[in-house]
Amino acid sequence: MELSTADSVDEALDELSRRGERCRVLAGGTDVMIQLARREIAPEHLLHVERLGELRAVETDGSTRLGALVTHRDLAVGRLGPGYAAVAESAATVGGLQTQVVGTIGGNVCNASPAADTLPALLVHDAEVTLRSVRGSRTVPLAEFVVGRRVTTRAPDELLTTITLGRPAPRTGDVYLKVGRRSAMEVAIVGLAARLTFDGTGVVTDARIAVASVGPRPLRSVGAETALVGGTGDAESVHAAAKALLQDVDPIDDVRGTADYRRRVIPGLLGRAVRVCAQRAEG
Amino acid sequence: MSVIGERVPRSDGRAKASGEAEYGVDHAEPDMIWGALVRSPVSSGRITRLDTAPALAMPGVHAVVTAADAPDTRAGWVLRDQRLFAADRVLYEGQPVAAVAADTLELAREAAAAVVLEIEPLPAVVDLDAALRPDAPLVHPDWESYVPALGPDADYPRHGNLAAESVSDPPGVDDAFARAHRVVTDEFVVQRQYQAYIEPKSAVGIYRDGRFTVHTAHQFPYNVRDRVSQFLDVRPSAVRIVGHTIGGGFGAKLDAALEPYAALLSKAARGRAVKLVNTRTEDLITCPSREGAITRVRSALDEDGTIIARELEVIADNGAYSGEMPWLASIALHCARGVYRAGPTRVTARLVYTNTAPTGAFRGVNGTYLYHAVERHMDHIAAELGVDRREYRLRHLFDDGEELLNGQVLTDAGILREGFEAIEAAAPWAKLEAERRPYRGIGIAAAWWLTNPMPGTAVVKLHEDGTAAVITAATDNGSGAVSMGVTQIVAERLGIPPSDVFVTLPDTDVAGFDAGSQGSRTTRIVGKASQIAADEVITKLKDVAAGLLEAAADDLEVADGTVRVKGAPGTSVPIAVVAATATNTVGPIQGTGSFVTPFPDFNPGCATGLMLPSFPTPTYHVHLAEVEVDPVTGTVQVLRYLVAQEVGAVISPDGTYGQVMGGVTQGIGYALHESLRIGEDGRYRERTLESYRLPLAGDVPRVEFFPLEHPDPDGPHGAKGVGEGPILLPAAVIANAVSDAIGRPLNNIPITPEEVLAALQTAELRNDEEHVR
Repeated sequence: MELSTADSVDEALDELSRRGERCRVLAGGTDVMIQLARREIAPEHLLHVERLGELRAVETDGSTRLGALVTHRDLAVGRLGPGYAAVAESAATVGGLQTQVVGTIGGNVCNASPAADTLPALLVHDAEVTLRSVRGSRTVPLAEFVVGRRVTTRAPDELLTTITLGRPAPRTGDVYLKVGRRSAMEVAIVGLAARLTFDGTGVVTDARIAVASVGPRPLRSVGAETALVGGTGDAESVHAAAKALLQDVDPIDDVRGTADYRRRVIPGLLGRAVRVCAQRAEG
Repeated sequence: MSVIGERVPRSDGRAKASGEAEYGVDHAEPDMIWGALVRSPVSSGRITRLDTAPALAMPGVHAVVTAADAPDTRAGWVLRDQRLFAADRVLYEGQPVAAVAADTLELAREAAAAVVLEIEPLPAVVDLDAALRPDAPLVHPDWESYVPALGPDADYPRHGNLAAESVSDPPGVDDAFARAHRVVTDEFVVQRQYQAYIEPKSAVGIYRDGRFTVHTAHQFPYNVRDRVSQFLDVRPSAVRIVGHTIGGGFGAKLDAALEPYAALLSKAARGRAVKLVNTRTEDLITCPSREGAITRVRSALDEDGTIIARELEVIADNGAYSGEMPWLASIALHCARGVYRAGPTRVTARLVYTNTAPTGAFRGVNGTYLYHAVERHMDHIAAELGVDRREYRLRHLFDDGEELLNGQVLTDAGILREGFEAIEAAAPWAKLEAERRPYRGIGIAAAWWLTNPMPGTAVVKLHEDGTAAVITAATDNGSGAVSMGVTQIVAERLGIPPSDVFVTLPDTDVAGFDAGSQGSRTTRIVGKASQIAADEVITKLKDVAAGLLEAAADDLEVADGTVRVKGAPGTSVPIAVVAATATNTVGPIQGTGSFVTPFPDFNPGCATGLMLPSFPTPTYHVHLAEVEVDPVTGTVQVLRYLVAQEVGAVISPDGTYGQVMGGVTQGIGYALHESLRIGEDGRYRERTLESYRLPLAGDVPRVEFFPLEHPDPDGPHGAKGVGEGPILLPAAVIANAVSDAIGRPLNNIPITPEEVLAALQTAELRNDEEHVR
């Protein structure tokens, strides 16, 4: 296996164009190195992109754009600013500090784990991802980019360069809640992100609900979102939203938790998320 | 100035913090090559094909060995039921079938993978109750031919899948149950627990001049010597075990693991040193983890609610081979009543062979789940009676002079009441009850425990510069028992600073027998042996100094780095001068000490299979926990944890508190986080430290600790054992506290969020239904 380091995005795109599927992109390495050690992947070539400073930028004027190499730690300490609590909270729960300081948002997205913490948080913020190749550039909604368990629509010659988030409206609150057996260093048993916008009377005018670890890929529940809009985060609307959410998910029994537990935990978790969003929307 | 009870830096602290310490896994020898084991991928089956030729043909491979290359013998700590390699049948997943030695670790692992191994699967015996049924397949069809290590005449009841049994059936149990006003019955199920030390097991074997030398980081080097000698069929003195800094053991490094394979591979590789090291998954799935068990308890109560008789049955998982477990089966007799009077008690302890990795010692052997059962049962009885749980315990609590089921008399059991009082002063029970909030709960429990009595020895050697070396096979597995305890005790005796005392790492060619780092014994046993050795040094120092000071030896004392005339400290000579003088006149100064605690008197007729007959140097323990349950997720946070513990005397405050904090942390992990499940196929479900979750700093509160000090006249400075006690009760008090918090009994360990949430939601559903009615 060969290793090369790209010094510019163009150089990286050239390499990817030439090597395609034989090449694996390496950023922080927190997933790739483990997959190599477990012999789950055996690429001919590793393309190290971690030094591409232009992919580390965060822009918050107008839309919020972050480079693919922004680390979990950058996000956890709030580099995106107010309005993106869910993103910060999700990044803060990825592994331990050693993982967070090298692990990147682009890597977490492309790894497309069913349990990826940041994906529900990005989904509730209407994330779009931009991919570049020598052929050009395309931008797609995150929900259409991650299409299955560890499956994305990234072409072998494409590099994820930028993630763009929507701007939260006034009176919006967001949150990421994670269920694990212990207080940190957990792969989520369930991860749930919510973003709710309220009007002046406390009625929900816009809702985003997304979950991880309850199906082959993290996903938004439009049914739950619809059930919440028009309510006040009251028990009835939360109950209806939970019912809709449970219809959208397809949890399995795995070593971390049972499908039954995942289903049991979702309604209460959703209720807690709605309460937190309401509080944060006021603040 | 005394250094006993003072905070002193641990002698190995600097090296460990800086990275200079050489752990077993770091050890390398000149021209060393690497080994790897071929392990069974299934838990039960018949080997139909084993072909080593493809591995042997690989360039760089030095040797491949199988059962055909090892002596045709069985080995074992308590029962010789174990072969080095599976020969025809495999009995657990991970069991070694062959071993290879090659130039590099990577190549050794590739060669191990190249060995052709075909196994016809057989039904696996996994369920403990099912294993004891008459129609169960036998894990060991040849069980009758196995010989106890103590000889064929040992009191060792066993039969078929029943690997060991201890039964105590005193008169009066059935009568009491017949006249009982009320009977309370419980069943408790606990999982295994992995010791999860930082350093995976490793060994470097060297065959040279007809002898085997093995380098290993081990809690009990002399036991490894004996096991290697059994497996390789050589006399014990033909094996030399050299110890290294240990990255944790917690009981899992008390018996041999990779050492005999490293020794045999070196012989097969013509004497090249061969190193074996476990991957974390190999380590986890083959570790002698704490056994899973089922405990069934019944108590007979009279009309006042007083317990008048009890029955306790425990069925514990031995795994496929016996290790230390049969010796520990009789602990059930010593813990069946906890620390509460319960009238005549029938105790049945059964140890069961299964097609799973052999279980073994883990800090607080057997006690964790026995106390969990007894203390959950006490809460259940109090709830049935509608009385306060703490009051009910105090009503039945042992006092001074309590005679136990085995006839042992606890002269000082009144210390338990002091323990309850110490906890009460810091966390008044009535106040905690009055301030109860939803989803919060409290639990309290108490225990007694032993200090392992087994022998130890030390030589204290005085250097000509006035410093001392302690030569011993004792090991410090991280507790500080050697790096602080023994070091402080020798420094105190010789009147020199702890930094002038150097304790060797163990080497069975050099130091005398030591029973290893187990059962909280090292500070007490080896500390005492070192103290005796130091006293011999002092006698010799005084004899030589008498000539230098022109004084009678009886008028001298050793203090402050000098030998001096009592009452006239100005008339003195430095120890270094005395030591140097001695070397050139009477010869070098050194002293020898040995110590063993006798077993307390007991009634040998009280039980069958009584291999561990009584508990020497008893200690007493009271714990209290406050927890909060998250009603959304079912997870449990331990908010507050208090420990009152009898320690004899605190030698090292840091070492003592470290053991309490560490033991409670491990106990909290056992109670709440660590899941080690076995599937129906006999294979572990959790196989890495990603899925086997250890508690983190954020999961554990800072323990509030109240040492109780009643010095033991035989212990060094009064010390008793400290290290094991703290893990005995966390499962008990946390289970009691969580059950209290949610108002429903939880009787399994670990307590899972699944179980808690299901219990909460079932309760809510029931409340809703009642509301509707």
